[in-house]
Amino acid sequence: MSAPKILLVEDDRPLRTLTARALRQSGFTVLTAATGAEMWVTLRDETIDLVVLDIMLPGTSGFDLFRRLRRESDVPVIFISARGSEEDRVLGLELGADDYLAKPFSTRELAARVSAVLRRGRGGDPTTWSDAAQPAPDCIRFDGWTVSTARRELRSPSGAMVDLTGAEFDLLATFLGHPQRVLGRERLIELSRTRLTDSSDRSIDVLVSRLRRKLQAGGSDSPIVTVRGVGYMFKAEVVRS
Amino acid sequence: MRLLRRFGLTERLLSVLLLAALVDFAANSFLFERASNFQLRRDDAERIVESLIIASRALERTQTSERGAVAEALSTKRFSLYWSPPTGRPAGSIRLSHLRAQVIEIEPELAGADLELHLAGLPAGGNIAGSVRLSDGSVLQFRTHVRSAWKLTAGRLAGLILPTLLLATFAWLFLRASLKPLRSLVRATRQFGSGTPQPVPESGPEEMRELIRALNTMQERVHQSLVDRTNTMLAIGHDLKTPLARMRLRIDDNSVSPAVRQGLTRDVEEMRLLIESIQAYVESGGNDIPAERIDIAVMAETLVDTAADEGAEARYHGESSVEIIARPVSIRRALSNLIENAIHYGGNVDVAVRQRGAWIEITVEDNGPGIPEDRIQDVFQPFVRLDTSRARNTAGMGLGVPIAHRSVRLEGGTLELANRPQGGLRATIRLPVAPTQPS
Repeated sequence: MSAPKILLVEDDRPLRTLTARALRQSGFTVLTAATGAEMWVTLRDETIDLVVLDIMLPGTSGFDLFRRLRRESDVPVIFISARGSEEDRVLGLELGADDYLAKPFSTRELAARVSAVLRRGRGGDPTTWSDAAQPAPDCIRFDGWTVSTARRELRSPSGAMVDLTGAEFDLLATFLGHPQRVLGRERLIELSRTRLTDSSDRSIDVLVSRLRRKLQAGGSDSPIVTVRGVGYMFKAEVVRS
Repeated sequence: MRLLRRFGLTERLLSVLLLAALVDFAANSFLFERASNFQLRRDDAERIVESLIIASRALERTQTSERGAVAEALSTKRFSLYWSPPTGRPAGSIRLSHLRAQVIEIEPELAGADLELHLAGLPAGGNIAGSVRLSDGSVLQFRTHVRSAWKLTAGRLAGLILPTLLLATFAWLFLRASLKPLRSLVRATRQFGSGTPQPVPESGPEEMRELIRALNTMQERVHQSLVDRTNTMLAIGHDLKTPLARMRLRIDDNSVSPAVRQGLTRDVEEMRLLIESIQAYVESGGNDIPAERIDIAVMAETLVDTAADEGAEARYHGESSVEIIARPVSIRRALSNLIENAIHYGGNVDVAVRQRGAWIEITVEDNGPGIPEDRIQDVFQPFVRLDTSRARNTAGMGLGVPIAHRSVRLEGGTLELANRPQGGLRATIRLPVAPTQPS
């Protein structure tokens, strides 16, 4: 399979050069655009696997450009913002960005995010819920709880936002991808590999107990049950919409 | 009223004075007219003539040295007499010309004696007074009480009091109307600088309107300059991020030695944190993100877990689930700042979320050295750092507590810092409880 083709849209020339180089070093084919207009031309002429878009392009507001891009194409988008504020992140993810990267970022971070989004988008990994054939469900429900995949948010039955760490969210996503199935610790580590760097039985146990505690917060039983000697099971019914 | 509105303070004051003067003038003219036309009943007039003739004839025949005493002796309660040598003679200002004509008609002899009649001054208590000249030029004065003259006296009193009364009333009304807008001005000044400008409606005299206009313009200008400053800081922060991003990627170049890369990466990271704390502080004043229902206990616990995962001594106590209505991003930042401060300055952190009546109480405690009592308030000021040695690894700019404070206040809560009796610092956030969700 040929290297994935990335379109980098960045108005600052030196940064564009540096970012493109970083992506190429990580094994991607990179096309660049300095403006929104250039981006449209490239998108028309080429098959692009992923767009890395700097949100503060001159001329058009980055968000407007982004909205239009989302309307006209379902190419995965990672957006880069200099504001780095949570507001931008939330808004960007809500508009349908696949991921968000704040300036400054390292070569490794960039490559990791791009790879993760590509992996999800291609549907090569059966554990993730966003298969290419079947558009990513934005909303997953179980026991009255709601999970928003775009915003990476968990809401309690009363509608309150319940904070999860990145690892906890990935673990929950893994469970939601395999409801009513017993998952061993090894398997959980394997499936949640996107975020779990310190993979050990012990850390997965800690993570599961934290997640379980949070899902009990509403006073209900936790949907995650321990299967002695084997691992864990997500027993609640999962509804995707 | 509309016309009055266009008048300035000076014009208003002047018009009030003019009105008072006019009333005064009218009252006096009226009084003079009344006095001049005043006549007595025939018998009253005859009594005056009689007494006057008798007295003057008696005095004509008396030695000059005795006249004063004789005049006194001739005086009665209703008709008093005074004699004076031929120097000046007092003449009242309000002449009773008709009465004089009436008297002379009764006794023409008095015309030759140069009779003069006037209304006596109020302090003298009398009403009708007058004088005649004796043959040697000396003066005989008299004063008498005539019951029917009371109307004149009343008129005089009214003439004196009415303009004063009018002046006082108008001055009071005028001052009240003129100063009424001051109250709204004072209110606006008190709220000045907190939030968006509240223009004061223009009212009152022209000078007051001008003042209100000036204040409104000033409000707008100050607000604009604050907005400009905020935008400038955001723009600087934003623009610094791009070169910083370039630096970060340049560091990854293979030609850079690992030691240098490590150092530079740390520097870039510190600069990023500085810029982000400024951005957070500037943005924490007002926030576009709406408040929503959040689980503050889980939020605190998640932050503690994350800190513990990074190797810090962090523990969570308290309830496992407490819901409030707040802006998640800013309140998370507030908690995170306080937890980071505790770990940084105290070496450990104990966080608890508890419900206390209508309030949620969040405590963030450490076992560190605390803060000198006299400096606790300083910590709430932006850009104040208590450790003067920059050598310590401090990523912030002294904005941690100010950002937390602003975020908590935005939710209608309070933030307190206090030294614990057993040592260390305790930060307490109090936030209102969310209303229970109707299901």
